[in-house]
Amino acid sequence: MFTTGSKLLIGSALLATIATIAYGIAQGGTLGTIGLASAATALWFLAGVNIYVRDCNVAIDEAGALTVSAAARQAPPSSPWPIVGALGAAALLLSVVTYPAVGIAGLVLLLAATAEWMVQAWSERGSADAAYNDEIRARLAHPLEMPILGVIGAGVIIYSFSRVMLSLTKVGTTVTFSVLAALVLFVAFMFAARPKVSSGTIGGVVGLAVVALVAGGAVAAFSGERDMHVIETTADLAERGRCGTEASEADKKSSQTLAGKTNLAATLTLDDAGILSAEVPGFNESTSRLTLPRSNPNNVVFRNDSDTDRRLVIDVGPSGDMESRTLCTALVEPGGVQFLTVIFDMPTFAVPDGHRFTVPGVESAVVEVTVP
Amino acid sequence: MTHRTRGTAGVTDVANHDRTSMQPATPMTSVTPVSTTRPLRRRAAWLGVAGGAIALSGCATNAPQDTWAPRGENAQMIHDLQWPIFAIAGVVGLIVFVAVGYSVVKFRDRGQPIPEQTHGRPALEIGLTILPAVILAVIAVPTVSTIFALADTDDTDCVINVTGQQWWWEYDYPVLDDGTICGYEPADGLTAAPIITSGQLVMPAGTNVLVRGTSRDVIHSYWIPQLNGKKDMVPGRVHYLRLQSDTPGIYAGQCTEFCGLSHANMRMEAVVLEPADFQRWIDNELAPYEAPEEGTLAAQGETVYVQQCARCHQVNGLVDPLTGDLVVSNPQDHVWSGAAPNLTKLMARNTFAGATWDLLTPECRADVWEAAPEDFGERYLEGVSEACLNTVDLREWLRNSPAKKPMYADAERLEVTDGKVRGMPYLALSEDQIDALLAYLLERK
Ligand code: HEC
Ligand SMILES: [Cu+2]
Repeated sequence: MFTTGSKLLIGSALLATIATIAYGIAQGGTLGTIGLASAATALWFLAGVNIYVRDCNVAIDEAGALTVSAAARQAPPSSPWPIVGALGAAALLLSVVTYPAVGIAGLVLLLAATAEWMVQAWSERGSADAAYNDEIRARLAHPLEMPILGVIGAGVIIYSFSRVMLSLTKVGTTVTFSVLAALVLFVAFMFAARPKVSSGTIGGVVGLAVVALVAGGAVAAFSGERDMHVIETTADLAERGRCGTEASEADKKSSQTLAGKTNLAATLTLDDAGILSAEVPGFNESTSRLTLPRSNPNNVVFRNDSDTDRRLVIDVGPSGDMESRTLCTALVEPGGVQFLTVIFDMPTFAVPDGHRFTVPGVESAVVEVTVP
Repeated sequence: MTHRTRGTAGVTDVANHDRTSMQPATPMTSVTPVSTTRPLRRRAAWLGVAGGAIALSGCATNAPQDTWAPRGENAQMIHDLQWPIFAIAGVVGLIVFVAVGYSVVKFRDRGQPIPEQTHGRPALEIGLTILPAVILAVIAVPTVSTIFALADTDDTDCVINVTGQQWWWEYDYPVLDDGTICGYEPADGLTAAPIITSGQLVMPAGTNVLVRGTSRDVIHSYWIPQLNGKKDMVPGRVHYLRLQSDTPGIYAGQCTEFCGLSHANMRMEAVVLEPADFQRWIDNELAPYEAPEEGTLAAQGETVYVQQCARCHQVNGLVDPLTGDLVVSNPQDHVWSGAAPNLTKLMARNTFAGATWDLLTPECRADVWEAAPEDFGERYLEGVSEACLNTVDLREWLRNSPAKKPMYADAERLEVTDGKVRGMPYLALSEDQIDALLAYLLERK
């Protein structure tokens, strides 16, 4: 009375029920128990439906039963998916004693095998015609398989490329990949010029290239990346106490134009005469005195209208564990602008020397800041 | 197949046929004549009640946030713009509603044949395109000029910095190059220093005040309806808002950009004082700290304050009675926004915690809030006296502030903010400590 399909479902439902009881007693967690109970209910329901429709099996007295129904087929062809699935399960178990990555790979294999196996099994019951069955399998599975395989393939190739590029020297990379690109072009041209080349040959060449690439990538990955040159930033400048008049690498690479020019706390301009002044909307004249809120990012812009490279510096006073903390812009070319975000942790009355914007090398350039 | 008993020949019938043919042949229920008058009348009654309630709510006598009651030049500009537009829109709306209502009643389905369908009436269509365009163009002229006038910062007399944070507003008054605050020179013997306060923005009457606003955490919006429109206060940006009023008084407002748990409790008030009163206010704010007399309850309160409150709140000039050091708050280490209200002159304002609760008892509050403009300054500058202190709300606040105002202050759930609170945490103070603190705070004015 139990059809093949319902046996599976009844078994699963039974297992879920036992698990529910065992978990409920042993662990006592409501959420887990509810989850398992839901699974059991769903499985029992499916089993019931399956028994009721008798697996959707064809009745023997139907016309096509002995010729075109799936049941009329000989044995189905052998399938790789049980083995792949077993491999996945094994990897999943192995991950407990090895690396989590193995487990992830196992899980992926297991899921892939389950999905593929189900699609294959479904297609094999499609009809008695094996070719037709293959076709419906492809129709269902390809839209799923192709993008995933494509992504994996592209990922492997890109990753290998990047490893090779990162491990060669800067010049080496340029040379190698120029040669490789030329080679690809040449081979492609050769193929194009001889339409008679068998697809086997093409496949072989491409396969060989991929294997070589992956091997190269693996070797490169193990030999590590070349030494990278780290470019200084203005934040580093402040930390290394290099907010003086001297130019550093960070200054040379700095941008002298700005995107954000509106809604600033103030614009500070250094003029020809060495005077630093602040412009703030609402104050009609520019001022040499600013009031900026505490514990808040204040965005100011420094504009250098003098004829020497200059930078804006401020000591914001104690900050976190630091006794005092200096912030500065990069060196600004004559006519250039730079942005600076300043946060004051302490009010001015609590800082012995107070707060002020200055310009190294220009004694007269001072804008007093009060933090209430 | 079913048939339309009241059907007419033509397109609709085919459509109907198509639709019904997909369903089992059941008699159409809508054919049965049903009396619609009774539910209609009941619905009309309900509509009447709801409409009446809404209309009546417009008659509230105590509506401090009324957008139709400007008390300053900027709000007046908005008002002068909005009522003619409202009138035009009202007339247009009325015409449309009447036309629609007339058509609905006049041409309702009484089983008459579908009238002849026409397409296109160029004169009407062009006319009905041009007419709204003309109306919009006419409206655009004053709208744009008002927008520009409200964005002007050139005629500023006084700049006040406003900083929003969850869930209160901080104000600071910068000292200008000439040593004044908004052009007001502190009285002899007082040094000009930035004034810092919260909740109530105090400004001189007849003065173009420019708010330079920003935020310490999320976006807030500053809105004193009787003085101007809304302005978002955005972290990292400084936005400008004009405020002006000739009439002394208190003008209420509230944050109008949803900003988290206690958004509804993030209010503010603008307090307008005559210039002479404003001068007195400034002098009082700048007056040096006076330590409580030794041996008093307030002196005990000072000690409790230094131990319990000073890590977040600043009282300018306070010196630790035990060590003799100047006490400097560190809200940046304890509060997510990095700030807590400055309590130096707490009792010089009359609301607290986002201007949500009164520091004055209801009777004393009425004396100030309902004072005539000429008396207002005097009343306001009295601050909070012992007899007038609303101990109920302030005690509740000190006993358990997160219970009074919803805040993210549960010590066990602060991973996302690096252990910092948003708002003021529960401090487990004893009633004796609260008594002492009240005595101490009462002297902060
Ligand atoms: C961890 C920091 C912190 C500590 C400690 C703290 N507060 Fe607060 N307090 C705040 C914050 C933040 C607010 C603003 C809350 C709001 O309105 O949303 C506030 C608001 C207040 C206000 C209302 C002020 C105003 O102008 O609106 C008073 C009064 C106050 N606190 C008193 C105290 C006293 C007294 C103590 C010591 C017993 C104390 N606070 C301890 C953070 C703190
Ligand atoms: Cu807000």
